[in-house]
Amino acid sequence: MDMGKVTALMPRARRIDILVALATLTPLIEAAAQANRRPATSIVIVTGGQATLPIPTLMEGGENSVGNLDVADQLFLRLANLGPKLLTTGDGDFVPALASSWTRRDSITLTFDLDRRARWHDGTPVTARDVLFTINRAKSSAIAPRLSELLRQVVSVTAEGTHRVVFRYARPYAEQLYDATFHVAPLPAHLLDSLPPEQVARADFVTNPVGSGPYRWVRNVPGQFMELAAVPDHFLGKPKVDRVIFRTAIDASARLNLLLGGQADAMDIIPPPPDNLRRVVADTTLRLISVPSSTVGYLLFNQRDPKNRARPHPILADIRVRRAIRLGLDRGLLVQAVFGPHGAVPYGPVSQLLWIRRGAPAPEPANVAEARLLLAATGWGDSDGDGTLDRGGRPLRLTLSLPNTSGVRRQMALLVQEQLRRIGIQIELQQLEFPVWNERRSAGNFDVDFSAVSQDASPSGLTQAWTCTGGSNYAGYCDRRVDSLIEAAIVGQGDPSEIWHEALRQIEEGAPATFLYAPTFVYAVNRRYRSVTISPQSSWITLWKWSVSPTAVSDRSE
Amino acid sequence: MSGWLVRRALQAVATFAVALALLFLLMRAAPGDPLHRLSADRPISAREMEALRARYGLDQPVGTQLAAFVTGLVRGDLGVSIEHGRPVTTLLAERLPATMLLGGSVLLLNFTIGLWLGVRQAVRYGQREDRWLTTLSLTGYAMPSFWLGLVLAWLIGVEWRLLPAAGMQDPLLSSDSSLAVRTGDVLRHLVLPVLTLSIVSIAATMRYQRAAMLEVLRLPYIVTARAKGLSQREVTWRHAWRNALFPVITLFGLWLPILVSGSVFVEAVFAWPGLGSLAANAVGSRDYPLLMGASLLVAALVVASGFMTDVAYALLDPRVRLG
Repeated sequence: MDMGKVTALMPRARRIDILVALATLTPLIEAAAQANRRPATSIVIVTGGQATLPIPTLMEGGENSVGNLDVADQLFLRLANLGPKLLTTGDGDFVPALASSWTRRDSITLTFDLDRRARWHDGTPVTARDVLFTINRAKSSAIAPRLSELLRQVVSVTAEGTHRVVFRYARPYAEQLYDATFHVAPLPAHLLDSLPPEQVARADFVTNPVGSGPYRWVRNVPGQFMELAAVPDHFLGKPKVDRVIFRTAIDASARLNLLLGGQADAMDIIPPPPDNLRRVVADTTLRLISVPSSTVGYLLFNQRDPKNRARPHPILADIRVRRAIRLGLDRGLLVQAVFGPHGAVPYGPVSQLLWIRRGAPAPEPANVAEARLLLAATGWGDSDGDGTLDRGGRPLRLTLSLPNTSGVRRQMALLVQEQLRRIGIQIELQQLEFPVWNERRSAGNFDVDFSAVSQDASPSGLTQAWTCTGGSNYAGYCDRRVDSLIEAAIVGQGDPSEIWHEALRQIEEGAPATFLYAPTFVYAVNRRYRSVTISPQSSWITLWKWSVSPTAVSDRSE
Repeated sequence: MSGWLVRRALQAVATFAVALALLFLLMRAAPGDPLHRLSADRPISAREMEALRARYGLDQPVGTQLAAFVTGLVRGDLGVSIEHGRPVTTLLAERLPATMLLGGSVLLLNFTIGLWLGVRQAVRYGQREDRWLTTLSLTGYAMPSFWLGLVLAWLIGVEWRLLPAAGMQDPLLSSDSSLAVRTGDVLRHLVLPVLTLSIVSIAATMRYQRAAMLEVLRLPYIVTARAKGLSQREVTWRHAWRNALFPVITLFGLWLPILVSGSVFVEAVFAWPGLGSLAANAVGSRDYPLLMGASLLVAALVVASGFMTDVAYALLDPRVRLG
């Protein structure tokens, strides 16, 4: 039928209505059509953390976030990256990046030869001057308090020619190469050394960073996404995925909807409960990848009285009670209930990311009978038959503090409460707003704290929470033997692996905590991407090596 | 009238100043420290903590911090966010347009469709249409917006893929797309969050408007207007509606700030990059500078909407300004 005749038959007012409706709908339809014709060699990664300041020396305090690290690792190359074993000690398990090679001059001196092909995104060669500039900025506690702590063993960095840098350390220890390469990636001195350090955070460089990585900066749409583009002539090879979008959705359900609704190609960390995983598995266009996570969760026992830190805790100062709690918990069951197959019970405070996990003994299984015996031996019995143990008229009641923001811990705490009830221990759950929980924890104001920490790849971080003088030792745990073992392992006397395992055994023996879970994170990536690997060190650091299936490219091409 | 206006404006300024001082002091009095949070999942040394405390001025007495804040405020500088490491004014300016777009769209729909349906119900009081609309409005009013948002995002965005499930724009949209296409893209993303917020708010407005109209329609002057032979349309819109607007104006004054601060859940569910989600995160992390900035904005909006409501009352009813 001729549309001209149809419109001629309509009243004028109706015709205008239809025209207005069409004018309104056309851009909507066109936008929808364009959304379906997505560029083939791009990737949209939906993440929970937004990159706000992905500049290596500026990622301090709140900026030391996963969101910033993910983007910074695309923009800036380190001197070297951790190898597949994630071994942070020695000089062997590292992969060249900006540095093509390194040699050890003596026990306190390392030299790095920079790759002469390396260029900043503006075309300027990467030189020793850039490394010197960056390390000197990073070692300034006024500019970078976190980095200056991490690099405290680096005494000096000097240049030998334009492409060789020499690191000197205060003492011999096993992680010298790791310290020189992992904590901070070089920045372009030619763009930044004329700026006073305090002005860098407000400089143009922050909104348009120039890096040395396989991807360059394109744009940031605050609160929504950050776009990067492949560097076609990158010296490590041209990335096959041309365009990378890091899309932000803080809420986990929004992230899942973006992924399952086809608005994203990949997602980091499918959050528990396991039902979320089942929804993703049901989508046949997605592949799931398990990655060792840096998280370890545990029940931390306060050994000091929260009301008076000078006194021992009235219940938990006794090692037999702490051990009884550990034996009373079926930790395998707890992990299975919350993480399904994507978690394990750790031995000691060790996430799946730490290399010292390999070869560690198996965690002690639950033994309710033994737990009851231990409690009976300490005088706890059920004198009134109410199911809760008591001693001297006081019930065996403990408060378990946890942040209300953690779904995993909330869910697991209920199961812990139920399991401990069976051996006569009454657990009161105290769910607190995150800052309040954290403040109380830092002040040692708790009986049992449900802690979860994110560890970096180096086991040396264990000193903070598990040595007598550690800055994060909130529970008053102190075992001099653990201190000396950790120190020996850090220095690298003998076989570091053996010494670390001995330190873990000693920690488990003292039962300062019950280590509950070390999950694997599950990532989802669209099946059209090939050669997909995800590094536990930094999720998307190998993205430049991914490719896109040729069939999928032609299907999605404009 | 001008004297009355000046007095009301001065009252508004004083209210704002008191709100500012209270917000600042209550925030510091609340438990939880913005920097302790940083050590929650990562060991942090005492030296690092001290340096950070000095950087954000948290090592100063509260009075000094308040003075510094007020001095900055006068200069238009709200400080630097602890979480984001960027100036608070920049962060707020970046997020405000998204919130205004979402809130403005909801207000527009609310006070056009909601008013119109409310009046329509009152005019057809007791008839089948009124009963149907009453049932619908009660259902809408009873629906929690975060639940509705989850359902709409899943059903329309994921299962049917008719509209984007989340976000404000398609990041892969070609950069050379026309303005119309880019606008269309934002509108597509806007539909679900607006629908989620509007269903609840329209239902509320309908209920208010219907009740107010019913009251007015029973008054003797309406009977007189009808007796004079005026058409139903003239009686309804020219004579009854104007006098039935007062409760709705109050409602408008209440909705205005809520639409900035109250759409936190909806912004989260739809990953809408507005102020609500920014402020909610600032609460969780005790990001004092950002929290103050966002709270001041809401306080300003509350004071301004109260002021505007009073002015609207005065314009509609001379007894308000004379009394």
